Amino acid sequence: MQKSKKVVILGHFGVGKTSLIRRFVTDQFSDKYKVTIGVHITKKVVTLPTDDTISLILWDLEGTDALEEIRDAYLLGTHGIVFVFDVSRPSTFQHLNSDLKIVAKKVPERPLLVVGNKKDLVPEEELTQLLENHQISYNYLTSAKTGDTVEDVFMELATLLNSDA
Amino acid sequence: METKLDEKDKLELLKDILFPDDREAVQDISKRIQLLEHLVNDQKLLAAKVDPLVDDKLNTFTKNIPNTLGPTITATLKKEIKNHKDDVVDALYPVLGKMVKKYVAQEIKILSDKIDNQLGFIKRFKRKMRSWFGGPTEEQLLMRELASATIEQVLLIERDTGILKASYSVTNTIDEEMISGMLTAIKGFVEDAFHQKNQKLEQIQYELYNIHLQSFVTHYVAVVISGNYHLKSKNKLQDIIFNFYYNFMALNLDLVFKSKDPEKAGKEVRTIEKELLEKELAASFGNAKI
Repeated sequence: MQKSKKVVILGHFGVGKTSLIRRFVTDQFSDKYKVTIGVHITKKVVTLPTDDTISLILWDLEGTDALEEIRDAYLLGTHGIVFVFDVSRPSTFQHLNSDLKIVAKKVPERPLLVVGNKKDLVPEEELTQLLENHQISYNYLTSAKTGDTVEDVFMELATLLNSDA
Repeated sequence: METKLDEKDKLELLKDILFPDDREAVQDISKRIQLLEHLVNDQKLLAAKVDPLVDDKLNTFTKNIPNTLGPTITATLKKEIKNHKDDVVDALYPVLGKMVKKYVAQEIKILSDKIDNQLGFIKRFKRKMRSWFGGPTEEQLLMRELASATIEQVLLIERDTGILKASYSVTNTIDEEMISGMLTAIKGFVEDAFHQKNQKLEQIQYELYNIHLQSFVTHYVAVVISGNYHLKSKNKLQDIIFNFYYNFMALNLDLVFKSKDPEKAGKEVRTIEKELLEKELAASFGNAKI
């Protein structure tokens, strides 16, 4: 039987949450920035290497600088979280640890992946140095524009959620 | 004539002479055993003898249940209810809901009848006026008012996650899992935004369609309705939803109580086959007239 799992995508304004989802679900990218209001929901059925299929219901929440203010109603029953920051804007990751604490408090004991998006905008060496300087630990660095590593994020989360069930 | 007796016959003769009483006793016992065998093998005869005794024992047992098994049953029920509070409340919700609804519906009907009596004349007059001034005919207007509501789609959704458990649909729509998610988000937003935790979003209306949302403890049912959806239709629909949900929770509770381990029970609830639920949905809502 195919399982369905609720995944919420969180992060500050304009970090590319919607673009990541669009790249993953429809393999498309658009330069035009459209603010997400409230929440937008999409779905993708993923087949894991074990041949299990899992339906990811992706809740793209509007970006916010104050994570405490995210509506609890949107987070209820969340199975997994992707926290996205923009590697080209330090303001979106300089408080990453405290941001993650807030997320963990709101959605405790759920698989969480930290993703630095827009890696195409920063040269690789500079990027490594920048993240080291800010002592940022992350799971993946992605580019929704080129599609680099996007699939890996959701596949790992799907695998975690599949074994979690 | 001389009769020749063999050793065995001689022994028997000697036995008859020496122990005549024993001989009779043995024959008597043998007869009794035969009678008993007959009694045991003949079901009717045995039932006639045993049934009164069993009935008597059963009556005594039934009378003594409150004293003998009562405390054990109460303790088990208490434990199960404590372990599965949500499931029990969820199962009782439709039953209590029906009772409350019947009372409220009855009161509203009385009120509605009173208002109808007062407004009947005005309504008829308004209809005639609209008809006279170039609008649709009075018959058309009446037909429009009487057009019944039709169930287009039913979704059983997990309340917190917004994950679709089962669906029934007359027409094709976009992905039902996405609709379920969006409905849950809208519902969550409205209930959260107005800080009315105990108030639930019950209806979304758009042009000719209505979405009726009936919330329970762990799930909610969303029904998309086309046509004239008025109080009477709502009343009928709620009865159908309550009946369906009662059956659904009965299935859930069966699974919960089958497992002694609360940890496992939680997971087993989720293993009700989607197909079974969809059959239940189709049976409950498929030919329903509201």
